[in-house]
Amino acid sequence: MFAKPVDLAGAAVFVALMAALPLLFPSNYLIGVLTVSVLYGIWAVTWDFMSGLTGRENFGHALFIGVGAYTAGFMNTTFGLNGWWSLPASMVVAIVFALLIGVPTLRLKGPYFALAMLSGSVIMQRLMLIFWEQTGGEEGLNGLTPLIRSQIGFYYFALAALAGITALLLALSRSHFGLILRAIRGDEATCQAAGINVTFYKIASLAISGAFAGAGGAMYAHYQLQVSPQLFAVVTSITIITMVYVGGMASIYGPVGGAILLVLLTELLRNFGEWRLMIYSCALILILFFLPGGLVAPAWRRLRAALAERRTARSVPASRERSA
Amino acid sequence: MLEILIVGAVSSAIYAMLAVGFTLIFGVARVLNLAHGSFYALGAYGTYVLTSHLKLPLLAAALLSVAIVAAFGVLIERVFIRPMRKSQLAVLMITLAVALVVEQALFLTFGSEYRNVPAFIDAKFTIGGVNIAGARLLALGVGVVVIGALWLFIQRTRYGSAILAISQDPQAAQYMGIPSDRIFSVVMALSAGLAALAGILAGPFLTVQPTMWLLPIVKAFAIVVVGGLGSIPGSILAALMLGYAETIVGYTVSTSWTEIVSVLATLLMLMLRPAGIFGRRAAF
Amino acid sequence: MTALLEVANLNKHFGGLHAVKNVSLSLARGEVVGILGPNGAGKTTVYNLLTGFIAPDPGARIVFQGTNVVGLAPYRVAALGISRTFQLCRPFVGLSVLENVVVGALGSRAAAGGDLEARALGLLAQVGLAGKEGVPVDVLSYGDQRRLEIARALAARPALLLLDEPFAGLGSSEIADLSALIRRVHVDEGLTVVLIEHKLREFMRLVDRVVALDFGEVIAEGLPDDIVRNPAVIEAYIGRDEGAGSVMASHAA
Repeated sequence: MFAKPVDLAGAAVFVALMAALPLLFPSNYLIGVLTVSVLYGIWAVTWDFMSGLTGRENFGHALFIGVGAYTAGFMNTTFGLNGWWSLPASMVVAIVFALLIGVPTLRLKGPYFALAMLSGSVIMQRLMLIFWEQTGGEEGLNGLTPLIRSQIGFYYFALAALAGITALLLALSRSHFGLILRAIRGDEATCQAAGINVTFYKIASLAISGAFAGAGGAMYAHYQLQVSPQLFAVVTSITIITMVYVGGMASIYGPVGGAILLVLLTELLRNFGEWRLMIYSCALILILFFLPGGLVAPAWRRLRAALAERRTARSVPASRERSA
Repeated sequence: MLEILIVGAVSSAIYAMLAVGFTLIFGVARVLNLAHGSFYALGAYGTYVLTSHLKLPLLAAALLSVAIVAAFGVLIERVFIRPMRKSQLAVLMITLAVALVVEQALFLTFGSEYRNVPAFIDAKFTIGGVNIAGARLLALGVGVVVIGALWLFIQRTRYGSAILAISQDPQAAQYMGIPSDRIFSVVMALSAGLAALAGILAGPFLTVQPTMWLLPIVKAFAIVVVGGLGSIPGSILAALMLGYAETIVGYTVSTSWTEIVSVLATLLMLMLRPAGIFGRRAAF
Repeated sequence: MTALLEVANLNKHFGGLHAVKNVSLSLARGEVVGILGPNGAGKTTVYNLLTGFIAPDPGARIVFQGTNVVGLAPYRVAALGISRTFQLCRPFVGLSVLENVVVGALGSRAAAGGDLEARALGLLAQVGLAGKEGVPVDVLSYGDQRRLEIARALAARPALLLLDEPFAGLGSSEIADLSALIRRVHVDEGLTVVLIEHKLREFMRLVDRVVALDFGEVIAEGLPDDIVRNPAVIEAYIGRDEGAGSVMASHAA
């Protein structure tokens, strides 16, 4: 089993809490905020799986989100296909893009990959505007059909998707595959000397990361019922990276907390309207300087250690009784 | 045809000013500064503010803008980049965050409408039957002169030799007593100043709005990949290639396709010859 | 008996510098061979050429167990059965000691299958790191990092082990321990071992035969006792001196 019982218990409590919130505080507004936070959670977890584990940071994760969303948009509006086909299709398209950018840039050292992904997302945004006749330009595509009509039903679907994707990626990260990714972060040359095809693993992890992010993008499209070039924005990529930093790099589960915290923060800052992005960016700078280890994952680890201490403290007197 | 020649040259000059600064700071300090585009934006906005709000004459406003942005560049280097230098990716992140803060600051102060940066030369000239704006010709002229001056500075002065030494072997340079930190600041000031100058010269005929920092970064990256990261002649050559490629595409196909040129060039180069044309520092 | 490794015509130019000149050597299975040479002689470059980290100049011939490895990516060369260590220890930072060894086995088909964690624990015991499995590598002492490197290299079940200055940075008792370990491993696993070193004393006792390099060329080849008295070798190390022969010999005693 890839997770200790206490981790599983924590996850169960978290999911239960998230599921109960809209029942305790019935409000369409709350469900909306929670749905968006869950989708961001999916994007943050997928980013962490590739970039957190291998250390090759991706500055254009929005590329996969946008590509997945537009795939959903085209299939649903232009081709009139049922929304559920969007999910696998968006994953396939995202994988294609991952290979297109990953193959030339991941075998290189340094920031080429990071900047290539950034450039890729910017260029895709421009392309959506350039080919406005096909893509709807600034307005994008409208009139997508929802996957699940009931708002709370879709929320539970998204929550289940988040739980499933996080569990899958967490299991992968704790397997030998994940061990290789972490070794790549440690020292690529030594990996090569151990016979590991480093480039293949980097590309594979990017493809997995992109595929699920694309699926998240398709889900977002069928939730907002529209897609626009804004999905490719640099701000989206940076927001996701910030969420991972807050959650705890390379923990996989931390970014879920980071995503929820930041989306809630955004809602609380709604009154600051125009100042929101500025506050975000400043917060990112502060985190990079003072909290590079993040908030959520370290907090969970401390909680876990405290619980373990209480358990051993309670069991000691019992064993002393037995030996007496 | 002549029009393509001239317009292409103008684009190349602007790109060269951007790319040379970008590659210079990388060659010397191994820093990829994503806030480089912000210097470009601040140069344009600074001139706008100084001329329209403080009513300064254009030349004074331009020179003052360049100086202020150069100082800002040094500040960024000292406060944000230096503590993060152990990790190239940390530097990327922090400079990207700074770029976003600058963008938001510009947005909050000036809003998102396009602003007007006055041109030094309003007149239009006719060369060989082609109408060309004086501002564009000036951009070309100044670009050539400034890059030429920079080249001479690096080749002929002691500071320039120090810069070359550090970019070839940072440790050896330190053993020889070259004050790396001071040189980094000088190079940063030069790099930022060049970018600001590009923004001021291009301002009159390119759009001035808060997000104007992003596309120059994408293009600068494309240019240094093609020319070779850390190589000034490479950046100049690649800027020429990119400037002309974009202009030709713009005239023959359509202006909307010009951005694709840079991304295609980047991807092709990375696949075929990652070190770039003159890359001393290969990507491996 | 066919050679385990056949190298012929190995050259490498770095710009104008002819760093490795016409190096040829042949390794028989089960040998322990030492590569001797002053700093800058090109020893590590030869390793990098053999293992695919650097491409040799055209015309080189490197055949390992009958397979031509010129032009193969480093991971492919390693997967064929050549394991190497590096001059400066390069452990997988961020992973524990046990994880470091497990990764060593993940790259080659020969090592896959079975309980990798159990095998890794066994290897750690073999190199003297038993009990330190959970320790993060950055807190290990240098001597322990060296042992870890060897365990990691062994995890791949190689046929050929290339060690690059394994004694560098170690005190004399640590050198003696590591030397004994290398000898044990050589006997137990039936490995062919190549060793680059400076420290003559231990080196000479470990190896069956020495290849001496200077300025990228092979200047002498033979038994340790003969190499130590070889004038060309002495000149490369110490400079032209009549009494130097006995000095070198006493160093190696």
